[in-house]
Amino acid sequence: MAITHTQTTGPTPTGVTARPGTGTTATRWLGIATIVLFALLLLLGLVTSPADVVQGESVRILYIHVGTVWVAYLAFIVTAVSSAAYLWKRTRSLTWDRVAGASAEIGVLYMGVTLLSGSLWGRLSWGTFWVWDARVTTTAFMFITYIGYLAVRGLGGSHDQRARRSGVVALLAVVEIPLVHFSVKMWRSVHQDASVAGRTTDVTLDGQMLFALLLGTVAFTAMYVWYVLHRQRVLAMEDAIDDRGLDQALLERRNEAI
Amino acid sequence: MDDLGFILLSYVAALGSTAALAWWVVRRGRALARQVPDEDKSWT
Repeated sequence: MAITHTQTTGPTPTGVTARPGTGTTATRWLGIATIVLFALLLLLGLVTSPADVVQGESVRILYIHVGTVWVAYLAFIVTAVSSAAYLWKRTRSLTWDRVAGASAEIGVLYMGVTLLSGSLWGRLSWGTFWVWDARVTTTAFMFITYIGYLAVRGLGGSHDQRARRSGVVALLAVVEIPLVHFSVKMWRSVHQDASVAGRTTDVTLDGQMLFALLLGTVAFTAMYVWYVLHRQRVLAMEDAIDDRGLDQALLERRNEAI
Repeated sequence: MDDLGFILLSYVAALGSTAALAWWVVRRGRALARQVPDEDKSWT
């Protein structure tokens, strides 16, 4: 089943309101809150927070790095949970599949940003953009795995086939999260362990630095929620258009046969 | 400050890609909503 999406240039079809879009009052307020959070992150991360005693100014990259990797983890876990909800017969609904797909998309984006910001930070701190370190390598592997997941979603077939195939991949791929997270403990790694939330940490952070880290995490999480809400609605409309196209094609074939 | 370029690049990549994604999904939603009747929009 070929999926094609074209933008209409003719008159608006019957039953379509004059105010189209995927926004609601709640998502608009969430969007505004997200913009404010990012503005505060820019101010705190780039201007008001102090340089680190050891890392110097490069610590500012971590306010982005920690927030994006947190959201990538969260996104891939939501993808797995939503996929499981679809695959379980009692809760089977294509809405779960769309949430899984939307979540994986933003997860891949932020995993890519994590790798980039980590690479830039590594150049300043380690003197190199890349090392074949356990944490860095497993993170890159997870990034590629989820690009594969998105590719599987685009293979075609019915919506249920898409949901089943990608659901299985999502449940397999999520196993990589503990592998990435605990890689610094399982193997010798140049990547640091958790600095703030670690059990054995003895790091004392300046209040503004800690706040900037938390603010980055909250801002990227708010963006994640906003995106998934909008994107799963977009996917629902793509599916609806696809279904109508199929119905129309079947009707035309029946009429030809008469 | 030698680090400035690296720091700004990380912020531009993160916030720029976020803004581009948000812009794209809103545009796509508006374009599709003109083709889909309200009965298929559970959020309206």
